[in-house]
Amino acid sequence: MLKTVTRAPDVRDPLAAALVAAAAMAWLFTGDFGKEVLSEVAVFAIFAMSLDLLVGCAGLVSLGHAAFFALGAYAVAAFGVFVNLPMWMAMPLAVAVTAVAAAAAGFFAVRLGGVFFIMMTLAIGQMVYAFFLNSRAFNADDGMAGIGRVDFSFLALDSGEPAVFSAFAVCAAVAVFLLLRMVARSPFGHTLAALRRNEPRLRSLGCPVLRCKLAAFTLAGALAGFAGALAAQHNGFISPDLAFWTVSGEVLVMVIVGGMGSLSGAALGAALVILLRHHLAGLTEFWVFYLGVLFVLMVLFAEGGVAGMLSRLPRKLHRRGGNV
Amino acid sequence: MVFLIQLLNGLQLAALLFLLSVGLSVVFGLMRFINLAHGTLFMFGAYLGVACAAAFDSFWAAFFLAPLLVAAGGAALYGILLRHIRRKSPMQQVLVTFGLIFIGFDVARMVWGRFPYSIAEPAVFAGGVQIFGQVYPAYRLFLIALGIAVMAALYLGLEKTRIGAMVRAGVDNRRMAAALGINVERVFFFVFCLGCGLAGLAGVAAAPVFPVFPGMDMPILILALIVVVVGGPGSLKGAMFGSLLVGLADTFGQVVFPEFAAATIYALMAAVLMVRPTGLFPAATVH
Repeated sequence: MLKTVTRAPDVRDPLAAALVAAAAMAWLFTGDFGKEVLSEVAVFAIFAMSLDLLVGCAGLVSLGHAAFFALGAYAVAAFGVFVNLPMWMAMPLAVAVTAVAAAAAGFFAVRLGGVFFIMMTLAIGQMVYAFFLNSRAFNADDGMAGIGRVDFSFLALDSGEPAVFSAFAVCAAVAVFLLLRMVARSPFGHTLAALRRNEPRLRSLGCPVLRCKLAAFTLAGALAGFAGALAAQHNGFISPDLAFWTVSGEVLVMVIVGGMGSLSGAALGAALVILLRHHLAGLTEFWVFYLGVLFVLMVLFAEGGVAGMLSRLPRKLHRRGGNV
Repeated sequence: MVFLIQLLNGLQLAALLFLLSVGLSVVFGLMRFINLAHGTLFMFGAYLGVACAAAFDSFWAAFFLAPLLVAAGGAALYGILLRHIRRKSPMQQVLVTFGLIFIGFDVARMVWGRFPYSIAEPAVFAGGVQIFGQVYPAYRLFLIALGIAVMAALYLGLEKTRIGAMVRAGVDNRRMAAALGINVERVFFFVFCLGCGLAGLAGVAAAPVFPVFPGMDMPILILALIVVVVGGPGSLKGAMFGSLLVGLADTFGQVVFPEFAAATIYALMAAVLMVRPTGLFPAATVH
């Protein structure tokens, strides 16, 4: 007999709503520094959500996602500084460049399974880092400065103001969240989820597995490039360090701390890690050490991350209420 | 002859890569387990070498002590952490070792600071050697010889001894080997510690040639991972040919197209994987 599938109430959407509310509160009640941090959180939320499409949805763990973040940042800087294009044009071009690069890298990477995929992505990340570090056209290890921001003068707003740029970044993060949620709920998203659970079965059903993986890798890379393009505008300065393995590691920490497979969880992870870093950086020089310890503990003991804990919370409360 | 000098440089890099990648590769073949902190062990081998060389005022003390200390560290790592995560998925195991890279990086910064160290090469190999009218540092020739000697020793150990046969059986079919009464977990532990020791040996051997600083582990880890992928996991032959290919391609790539040095290795790996997705000489079937 066919059973009608009822969806369990999704507790993670309240989380997304709560995050947007928290962002709004932060925007209203903090000063310029708070708004700078808010912009950073929004940018890294986009970056982390793009990685979550790979890790949480398709089960492809990438240790080189920062490669595309850096490519997006360098592309937007190149179009802005070398070609002198306005940011409204430079940004989509940068995303397109990153998408092409991600497709090219993914062409090789998605052919490899499991641990080999991880090693390949780590190699891709370090190669992009080495490329920018040695490239004279992009000022090698000095990086590039003087990157402008999107122009809001048609609305009589100055995007140099932290209030304006942080609002823009948060809106961009919400847009990416909605886009990725749509992707995750589409047939393509369900295919990716099935791919994570049982790839051989999917292949024997005639699904073009490689093409699906490549599409996911390209989309995730393009969105990471978008995050990088925003980061370049936010800081006004870029360096090869954007592609360094610690950045890839950090964004993976965000996804794992927040909760793999939950977009709002990834955004929450981004907020937690960045706030933690701002606090720890004031207390100790060795915050990477604590980040590593947190990472190992989360991998070992908290599979669903913070979002997973939150989603189990109502059930626990309910059970406790029932016992009384 | 620039070509000859570069060839020797390439062979020297290949020797170091072989010491690193053989442990990674055989451990992967046995247990489907990639220790991303292998480069970190290399870095600690170099740092412990620096410390031992300073304490005993002798390169050779460092040369023999540092690998033993790193192997002991590997054994401790296994006992404290890795033994308990054998049941977890391969992905989680890899991620845990990735977290260890972060921890190792900052531990090195805490203990030794951010400035580079180096060890003086031993007096025996301090000078240069005349080869076809060119002067080449003798210590670098010693590195090549070291790589060849370790390779020969591992070949004999793997092919001619009982424990070598157990390792080969484990790589070939772990469950069958276990059913025949081989304690594969203990073989794994032995190979893991040996691999850690070799990583430490590579570290201390590299210390007179490369600067020793926090973060020296990542470039060489990437090259070692590429060696495993190109050579094919689980086999000595794969690690050997992979090291040669990667060492020579990296060295000549930097001479011929300095701006795209990283890309030559990448192109090599891509080309090999297009033709043989499991590497050149895989001993272990890849899943």
